Amino acid sequence: MSSRGIAQDGALVPGPAPVQDLARYRRQPRGAERTAHVGMAVFLGSWVMLFVALFFAYAFVRASADAWPPAGTPPLPRLLPGLNTLALAASAVAMVRAVRAQDVGRSRSASNALAVAAALGAIFLALQAVVWVGLWRQGLVLSGGPYPSVFYAFTALHALHVLVGLAALAWLAARARAGAAPRTTVRLWGWYWHAVGALWAALYVTVYLA
Amino acid sequence: MTPAQALMEAAQPIHPPPTSFWRRYVFSIDHKVIAKQFLWAGLLFLLVGGALAMLIRWQWAFPYRPVPIVGRLLFGGSGVIGPATYQQIFTTHGLGMIFFAVTPVLIGTFGNFLIPLMIGARDMAFPRLNMASFWTFLLSQLLVLASFFADLGSGGAGWTTYAPLSTNVGMPGRGQTLIVAAIFVTGVSSTMGAINYVTTVIRLRAPGMTWMRLPLTIWGLWLTAILNVLFVPVLGSAALLLLLDRELGTQFFQASASAVRGGGDPILYQHLFWIFGHPEVYIMILPAWGIVGDVLAFFARKPHHWYRGTVGAMVVVTVLSAMVYGHHMFITGMSPLLGEGFMFFTLLISGPSMIVVLNWVLTVWKGSLHFDTPLLFALALVFVFGVGGLTGLFLGDVSMDLYLHDTMFVVGHFHFTMAAASFIGVMTGIYFWFPAMFGRKLDERLGKAHFWFTFLGLTLVFGGQLLAGWAGQQRRLFDPFQYTFIQGLRGLNRWTSYSAFALFAGQFFFVANFFKTLFGRRVAPASANPWQATTLEWTATTSPPPFHNFDHIPEVVRGPHELSNPEVRRLTGRDFAGQAEALPGGGAPALAAGRP
Repeated sequence: MSSRGIAQDGALVPGPAPVQDLARYRRQPRGAERTAHVGMAVFLGSWVMLFVALFFAYAFVRASADAWPPAGTPPLPRLLPGLNTLALAASAVAMVRAVRAQDVGRSRSASNALAVAAALGAIFLALQAVVWVGLWRQGLVLSGGPYPSVFYAFTALHALHVLVGLAALAWLAARARAGAAPRTTVRLWGWYWHAVGALWAALYVTVYLA
Repeated sequence: MTPAQALMEAAQPIHPPPTSFWRRYVFSIDHKVIAKQFLWAGLLFLLVGGALAMLIRWQWAFPYRPVPIVGRLLFGGSGVIGPATYQQIFTTHGLGMIFFAVTPVLIGTFGNFLIPLMIGARDMAFPRLNMASFWTFLLSQLLVLASFFADLGSGGAGWTTYAPLSTNVGMPGRGQTLIVAAIFVTGVSSTMGAINYVTTVIRLRAPGMTWMRLPLTIWGLWLTAILNVLFVPVLGSAALLLLLDRELGTQFFQASASAVRGGGDPILYQHLFWIFGHPEVYIMILPAWGIVGDVLAFFARKPHHWYRGTVGAMVVVTVLSAMVYGHHMFITGMSPLLGEGFMFFTLLISGPSMIVVLNWVLTVWKGSLHFDTPLLFALALVFVFGVGGLTGLFLGDVSMDLYLHDTMFVVGHFHFTMAAASFIGVMTGIYFWFPAMFGRKLDERLGKAHFWFTFLGLTLVFGGQLLAGWAGQQRRLFDPFQYTFIQGLRGLNRWTSYSAFALFAGQFFFVANFFKTLFGRRVAPASANPWQATTLEWTATTSPPPFHNFDHIPEVVRGPHELSNPEVRRLTGRDFAGQAEALPGGGAPALAAGRP
């Protein structure tokens, strides 16, 4: 009932009730914004299930394999994916700054932060391509059994999501520069970007390290 | 208007209806139009799927004999169904019925049409996403149709598309690839729709439409949408990996024999498929449960018995449905301990299911029944779902399943629940909401003829399958009678087929009724509330509703089944009160306070 006042005759009338923390109150999504938030949360829940199923498949294949990685497989690099993890983490920080800036209406700095986030995403993709090409040349080809199947399918599917996010962030950066990026759009693409980052963390640990 | 209504009005302004033909009927974002698009697309595939079923029944009654009338046209020269063609027929029958006929009608049509109208919203939360959902669905249907024209024909690995049969090793043709792609695309469509449904019910319920005042139909559709959101992506990943296996040479599902180095595991596909597949069973029945719960109350003129119990039971079934998928895989070499766990949860589902069925029976008990077509279908659903549920107990039990697995008993069981009950649920809904959709009432006499053919036909056909399976007939056999121990079942199979043909013929009563009512010149418009129902789509707006659904967002003041209340009768002279209806002189005081 906090968003409604009470008139003298006891009936409810629309209008804000007294607010303790105005800055925080203004950040809260309302109406259609809130609907968009709920929709995005439901979508991300659905999307997470796609990857839960893929990780289930990975665990299943790996548990039933004789050796993982199979003998004679070129070792996966550690350094470049590690750098990539840092790139995505930095990109996530930039995204947080963009959302904060857009919340208080500073679209110029939001646009800059979005551009940084997108650029770091592009670096990620470039490094990922270097990793793929290197491994392919060493003989880790897609049709070489379940090990390369898991490796290429998962990293490629993740890269596809990075690509989508990258395009969205670049577009948003341009829109924000023109002052035409709604805060909810920025915020929800931020959710998406963080989800893609969290997915990479899970991939990095389970595919490259473990 | 109350402040809460004012807020909802502000959040959902009235837009002028589109005037151009394309925006109005084709690329429409109006949930009512999209619902009708799903209805047409789904009913068309229902007819196709039914016709394919007739071919299967012909094969089981008269193997190696040419199919009359259409045989030469479909199968060339002799008109006999060959083994490869037969495989494609039962595959596309199952796939078409499940993903492209019943799902779009039950969820696409009723979900789209009813959710905004029954919760008092002007449209879905994301109307454009809704439109995208339909067009994605249409694309998936086209992929299925395209698969028939591929080299080596359509997919032939069964509706479950089990690996390794569905990999390049078993099905090298392009048709199987198109089928798997169609499954993926229709999954995308379902997910888009489901995200919309879940969000709409959470966010756009009219003021006063609390969770415990939602019509049961909405509960069913909402829980279904949650299952869709969570589990269709699992099918999506299975289809994706299968596509990669087929097209790019990965090895997720091909075991060592066919793999170069190491190998994947075909059982993995079964896991992924059934993690989705078992919730899918409930995806196809929960909306029907909801529809029947409401319809029985309206036609018995009684409030639904123990509404909260039914809602709670439906929620529990939804949760449990995610924990039982292993009962499809008892004979895959699963650990007996795991099998027992799955058996336990499977049999546990019968508890809440029984609550739902008993509540239906007690709703009808001592009611003043109005035997209109929707009620007949609803009562039939109680029966066929009961049979389907009881035969499920046999299959959920590991020791029985070892014998009955892959027999016609399984086919009979899941046809009673997924086919008969879902189909009857669809028909209940169509007969009941036809006036709200099209402004006319379907003819009762044709409807009742359709009902008896459908009810008796379904029961006899699937009952015959149960008997054949109990006697040991394996499912999916091209010519069951090549086995001497099945030869004695030739008569049973023939009679089952005759029932199936009668069932199919009886559907033409529906087709005739549908078109005659829709386009007939002498059909009078239906009254605004022909069934004297209480929910918002009948009582808070005109029927059929205008483009923006409600001139004013209603304020809901009571539950969905305010029937035969003596106080209401004293005040209004009627035996029902609409969910948002203000009663003369006697409305709730809180309601009166906010009104001008």
